[in-house]
Amino acid sequence: MGILEIHQLSKRFGRHEVLNGLDMDVPEHSVFGFVGQNGAGKTTTMKIVLGLLKPDSGSVTVCGEKVAYGETKTNRNIGFLPDVPEFYGYMNPMEYLKLCGEITGLTKVKIKLRSEELLSLVGLKDQKKKISGFSRGMKQRLGIAQALLNEPKLLICDEPTSALDPIGRKEILDILLAVKGKTTVVFSTHILSDVERVCDRIAVLHSGKLALHGTLSEIKESHRHNGFVLEFSSDMEASLFENTEELKQPSISMSRNGNTVTALVTDHDMGGHLLLGVLSQKRIVPLKFAVMEPTLESLFMEVVQ
Amino acid sequence: MRNYLAFLKKEIYEYTKTYKLLIMLMVFAVFGITNPLVAKLLPEILGSLKTEGIIMTLPEATAYDAWTQFFKNATQMGLIVMVILFSPVLSSELSRGTLINMLTKGLSRTVVILSKYTCMVVVWTISIALCFGLTYGYTVYLFPAGETANLLFSTFCLWMFGLFLLATLLLAATLTKSNYGCLLITGAVVVACMLVNIIPAAHRYNPISLATDNMGLITDDIEVSSLYCTILISCLLSFLFLTISVLIFRKKQV
Repeated sequence: MGILEIHQLSKRFGRHEVLNGLDMDVPEHSVFGFVGQNGAGKTTTMKIVLGLLKPDSGSVTVCGEKVAYGETKTNRNIGFLPDVPEFYGYMNPMEYLKLCGEITGLTKVKIKLRSEELLSLVGLKDQKKKISGFSRGMKQRLGIAQALLNEPKLLICDEPTSALDPIGRKEILDILLAVKGKTTVVFSTHILSDVERVCDRIAVLHSGKLALHGTLSEIKESHRHNGFVLEFSSDMEASLFENTEELKQPSISMSRNGNTVTALVTDHDMGGHLLLGVLSQKRIVPLKFAVMEPTLESLFMEVVQ
Repeated sequence: MRNYLAFLKKEIYEYTKTYKLLIMLMVFAVFGITNPLVAKLLPEILGSLKTEGIIMTLPEATAYDAWTQFFKNATQMGLIVMVILFSPVLSSELSRGTLINMLTKGLSRTVVILSKYTCMVVVWTISIALCFGLTYGYTVYLFPAGETANLLFSTFCLWMFGLFLLATLLLAATLTKSNYGCLLITGAVVVACMLVNIIPAAHRYNPISLATDNMGLITDDIEVSSLYCTILISCLLSFLFLTISVLIFRKKQV
């Protein structure tokens, strides 16, 4: 059973249908990348999971408990980092975490212990100034600290890296990786390289439904085109290879871009042997001979178009 | 209960840190000091303007004049300042999204409304008490002979009206998204109360009587018992408004 289960979720704003029968299942202890274009409905889904928005139909369960709109008890298992976290600007980080701790019902000792631990994890340990003077990246890091305060079973982050510089992004992703063992992380993003770095499972949301979901390797496996990429050291070699008579057959389609030749074949093994045979026969040693791997970007493009 | 206290503490801290408490206290302190002073000095100021040919007979200022100033300032400027200061009570948190972190931490929405109401009531009580104390002190000093009836009861009525107004304000805040909407609805309710007061029969049941009958009470022109019904109705209405606010806010999309 997954820690977060979404069943046939639908939501429309006026005439605009955002979610249309969304089904999703997040297993425990995974880092789950929730990918989609701007306006695909990622934030809406998260807000419904948190009981902040009312779904038109469908149900959500967190840790086996059903989420009720408005007052929901399921939030005690969830830590949430909004896309632009906002805090009471007149407090300093320690005061803010103290307030959060009191609200979740931690003891005084525990609050102090956890706050110090988390502030050093996110690198705000010696920060005494008020939150109103914080940069966006600092707010984002404090956001993670407050989300992790009550040791949630599920951490939901809404585009935690979108507005940050490369260093800030790396720091946030490192923090997410660091908490992976203790909690399940669901994070939405449209930055695909982030997904590849930290996620073990992904789901692509498109027109209100999941267009793709599974582990990263599963998805790549299922969308692999049989093909090879060959890179040559000179233009001459590339054209010599491309124009080989033996390769001009219907089961092989070739395309060339500079010194790189891409060969799509119908049968992986047979095609591979044939290409290697031609290389050997023509006495060409390529710089690179690789099986064509689909990138997340190409997959994403494929499903959203 | 724990949550309620934690959030109440945050609210009070917020009013101190954002200077709202300070502004309220300063405004009411200034009123408290100037009420008897204006009463005392006004005849003298007018007297000094006397020119030939115009005969002005100015009555001697009394403690009543000081209290007239008190009830006039507190019921007009005082309440207006309070309503304006408190109008962003929910809209600021909702539009900036600061409440989302709290709600997703398991803070109950009922607690949000109740602690915000409590905090506003506390600030209002301190302010009116301060104003009353200062006016009382200076009045006793400047007009030692002055005697007034039902002073505490009259002030209590005004305080009660404040509670009613704050409950209205909170209900207005849950109904709208912006603080202007909140101000508009609160203003509309007050105007409606004033219009209803035109009908003499409604006077006894109208909460606004608590803020208009104060002078009558201290001159003993109005019976104390005539306001019992009004107090009861104001209490019930405040309670009702608060309950509706909680019910609405529990179902509000944030």
